[in-house]
Amino acid sequence: MAKARKIPGVGPQSRFRDVAAASVEVRASEVFGQMDGVLDIEDIERVHDMRVATRRLRAVLEVFATCFPKKDHKQLLREVKELADALGERRDPDVAIAWLSDIAAELGEEARPGIEGLADDFREEQRDGNDLLAAGLERAREARLAERLTELARSARIEVDER
Amino acid sequence: MKARKVKGLDADGAFEENARRIVEVRLRELTALASHALDDGAVDELHDTRIAAKRLRYVLELAGPGLGRPAATGARVARGLQDLLGEVHDCDVLLARIRRHADRLRAEDAETVRLRATRPGAELEAEAAQHARNLDRHWGLEALTAFVTARRKILYERFAREWKALERRDFAGDLLAGITSCSG
Repeated sequence: MAKARKIPGVGPQSRFRDVAAASVEVRASEVFGQMDGVLDIEDIERVHDMRVATRRLRAVLEVFATCFPKKDHKQLLREVKELADALGERRDPDVAIAWLSDIAAELGEEARPGIEGLADDFREEQRDGNDLLAAGLERAREARLAERLTELARSARIEVDER
Repeated sequence: MKARKVKGLDADGAFEENARRIVEVRLRELTALASHALDDGAVDELHDTRIAAKRLRYVLELAGPGLGRPAATGARVARGLQDLLGEVHDCDVLLARIRRHADRLRAEDAETVRLRATRPGAELEAEAAQHARNLDRHWGLEALTAFVTARRKILYERFAREWKALERRDFAGDLLAGITSCSG
């Protein structure tokens, strides 16, 4: 799992809105920097890394909510949540399949038909989840989510009465 | 579970003061929910406690540069709780999933056996049950259920022990005092 990058220039006395802007910029770039190969079901760590990055971005948007224009913030938070949900649709079966594979080896031959049958259900979900994720990524691209998050970060630096 | 609103935040104010306010509210949420989850260990209460631990963890991780070492220590504790409760939640989700899957297999088998009746309304011979196709699958699902149920119990007991230990050493009081002295 990729370690979260340090937010530059943050100290105890930094203005809250400046920290908000820097945090969104860094965390958003982490999310969109993880997109390559995320639809490859043979490499489940890529989805995991992007999901973790999305969670961090969502946390930043929630913690610093007061620093952003309300309407834009609400809309972008919703879109980030949708992306996180799409990643979850793929990640959850990934984890279940890997776990069931380990457990089947430990429980022995007699348990295999039952566990394999259950794993087949998760494989079907994994394929469906990958389709949902592909659609979610396409939606984010079409909606210029990365660019609009950068604009949101920029808007946090502007005083409320200047907006 | 919707997060409680944090009052008195000032976008133009200092990072440390705002961060401290948020941590206080998230910490209170966690302590209230965790105590409740310990009362009965119910699925929903444990799930809410996990979400509260996650929110506290994230704000403490973000607050590190403003609130110093106590925030980092608190974040580690919150992450430990979140991970542990996450494993409990995974068990709950998987158990429900196994039950649904096993029910579906049983329903398929019952239908297969029913179709062995020679004509509508005729008495069904017990021998027909031999034609159920999923019988060999139930052993694995039962073994899996037993394992996941036991694992869930162990994880829950570990959470209860850890939370009680945190309460005994006044984790919440220490964290609040630590972040207040850092920002004060």
